[in-house]
Amino acid sequence: MSASLDKGISALKQQVDASVAAFFSSCVHCGICAEACLFYTETGEPERTPINKTEPLRRIWKSEYTLVGRLGKMLGLTKKVDHKLLEEWETLVYDSCTMCGRCSMVCPVGNDITLMIRKTREGMAAAGHAPAGMIGASKRSVEIGSPMGVRLPALRAQIKHVEADTGLKVPLDVVGAEYMLLLSSMEIMNFPEFIEAIAKIFEKAGASWTIATEAFEATNSGIQIGVSDIAAELVQRIVDAAEKLKVTTVISPECGHAYTAIRWDGPNLVGKKFSFKVRHILEVLDEMRQQGRLKTSGMESGKLTYHDPCQISRRGGVIDEPRRLIDMISDNFVEMPDHGKMNWCCGAGGGVSANERADELRLKVFQRKKDQFDAIRPDAIVSACSNCRIHLEDGLEEYNMDIPLLSLTETIAEHLAD
Amino acid sequence: MTEIELLSWARGPGLQIATVIFVAGIVIRFFEILMLGRKANLAEARGSEMSGGLKTMFTRTVPDRATYKRSAFTITAGYLFHFGLFITFFMFAPHILLVKDIFGFGWPSLPTPIVDAFAVITIISLLAVLANRLNNKVMRYLTNFEDLLTWFLTLAPLVTGYIAFHRIGFTAPTLLAMHILSVELLMIVFPFTKLMHAFTLFLARWYNGAISGYKGVAS
Amino acid sequence: MSQISNDVEFKQALEGLSPIKQRTLAAAFVAHVLPLSHDERLNRVVSIAAVEHAMEDELLNALRSARAATFDSHARCGSEGHWNEQAGYFVARAAVAAVTPPAQSRSGGAAWQAAMSSRMARTSMLIDDGEGEPTAPAENEWQYQTLSDYLNANG
Repeated sequence: MSASLDKGISALKQQVDASVAAFFSSCVHCGICAEACLFYTETGEPERTPINKTEPLRRIWKSEYTLVGRLGKMLGLTKKVDHKLLEEWETLVYDSCTMCGRCSMVCPVGNDITLMIRKTREGMAAAGHAPAGMIGASKRSVEIGSPMGVRLPALRAQIKHVEADTGLKVPLDVVGAEYMLLLSSMEIMNFPEFIEAIAKIFEKAGASWTIATEAFEATNSGIQIGVSDIAAELVQRIVDAAEKLKVTTVISPECGHAYTAIRWDGPNLVGKKFSFKVRHILEVLDEMRQQGRLKTSGMESGKLTYHDPCQISRRGGVIDEPRRLIDMISDNFVEMPDHGKMNWCCGAGGGVSANERADELRLKVFQRKKDQFDAIRPDAIVSACSNCRIHLEDGLEEYNMDIPLLSLTETIAEHLAD
Repeated sequence: MTEIELLSWARGPGLQIATVIFVAGIVIRFFEILMLGRKANLAEARGSEMSGGLKTMFTRTVPDRATYKRSAFTITAGYLFHFGLFITFFMFAPHILLVKDIFGFGWPSLPTPIVDAFAVITIISLLAVLANRLNNKVMRYLTNFEDLLTWFLTLAPLVTGYIAFHRIGFTAPTLLAMHILSVELLMIVFPFTKLMHAFTLFLARWYNGAISGYKGVAS
Repeated sequence: MSQISNDVEFKQALEGLSPIKQRTLAAAFVAHVLPLSHDERLNRVVSIAAVEHAMEDELLNALRSARAATFDSHARCGSEGHWNEQAGYFVARAAVAAVTPPAQSRSGGAAWQAAMSSRMARTSMLIDDGEGEPTAPAENEWQYQTLSDYLNANG
């Protein structure tokens, strides 16, 4: 995948559609989007204003798709998109943005700025201006099948542990299973107990499930770096496996962007509707709860709160399900200020955590989450994204706060009634 | 050219030219946007695009509490001058008469002293808006020539209208001509600037609401 | 003379022990895989965990140390995962399990959790070596033997 400025500009042109044009036409430079973005609120640096991050895309829209802009271009009066601009914008578009979506919720004229930034990434990446860490992750995804380089033997090893621990089988490549579980490399490497939790829950619920050895990775690095071709290829692998195994539902695990990639972007990336359903694990669990197939006993002691992973709640629509599930195992649940669809980002999604250059910034903006936790002083924080978990823990440790992070799925599994 | 000739021109050919450019400009802008199209969404819908889009067109007018707290001045001053513009333009008897002349229908006006007071309020809010724009770190960073130009062009009709009404400084015909010309200037620049948001924001909000509504999120 | 030979017996026997005994056994399990970690903090954690009458605040500090060790050693989302480093992560997790207060212990108890994480540490090294499908029977066996010896010595 060779990069060039021409490819970048071409990519940006392709990204301009009616919605993008409507958005740029409506922006009045009010700056309210900045106050919704933790990368601005915690740094005070105005360049990190969300709409500013879209400047490369705006210049292309103006000079290619507006009368005034095209006239200006002919007269040599337009602001150009060149390597200098893209280089300057790299830390704004990648390091300072997780595509969390808060800006899109507050813009008075209705701009979906998050979408505009996502589109801007296509141009940045095609021109070769994406962070090295993310380029590496994408390469590994395409060549190995996992952004972190997790190969099948490693998964099998983890599965063996899971089977030893639970006494249950983890079914691989079962044709006709109802559910096909995807896993993020993060879970396989750091939280293999997630797989245990699934095994236990599904066994009790009497649900047939499987993991496809040919496509077990949920993480989609293509979405994060902003290269739709890569994103599409990764989705296609999952589609192929799901069709081969004739499963009814593909489950997206506790990973934020994985859900966005497969549930909402997937069919549009590969250009075809899916012949199977896609659900987040929380949706599946909530459905099992409704059907009486999920029974728990006992309550968590201590005050719990829920951190909404941006791609699952605000950008994904799975907002009420986690709360209904938490209700099953807690009678001391407290919402943090700005909860639900307006919750604040953990600061690490959308590729930020794969980008070492952004480490300092990421820890700095964690202050926003710290303020939320300080306001309610929970005993534990529940969430449903492995990346959120790790980075919230990281941030809490940095600020000497001792609050454990719990996975919602794992916590439900711990309370399964016999 | 005498002041009467100037006024006649402003009311006649001037208005015609301005109107043509205004309307044609808006149509062109809309065409530019809509002809780009948007791909259909192939993912399984959870909610409705249509209801999401329609709702957001209106709900986006009301900021949520936390957002309001962080941008109280910007939002308040912004709404104040928009509301003021609405009152001074649409509720002033002479303006309504003009509309009646052209389109054949009118509507009740507000008492002139009230409109007059609103003109002052609006001018003050616009000054406050500019001060905010130059003072607020983010707005200052974002502000470009177009922002300042459109601000000026929005203020000019208000100021010229006010001094025309109060007969300050010049004779009545000149004042009126200045006012009408300032409006015409606004009209011809309008379609090619961010002032188009007055119309395109409904599109933008619709797309935003539709995208979220599809996923079952109220935005 | 009891001889533990499989995980069912292993888990059952461990769960039957008192929390303090679980902790000291957990410490033994972790100590066995300690060489796989580069984090010196864990040496101290293990030595505290091994002391039967360790003080509550000592254990709390040890827990903090062990947790910090997990944060420093985990694989970052999107970064290239190195299984040999991941071994260090699992050693740290085993240490966390050893010094976690009984009320907060995950299912199976402190010793079981420490044993599982220790095995994963060993397996991680094997994955890194690129050995087809690593199974780490050695660690299991060693853990069974250790528990059997302990039970026999302590009636």
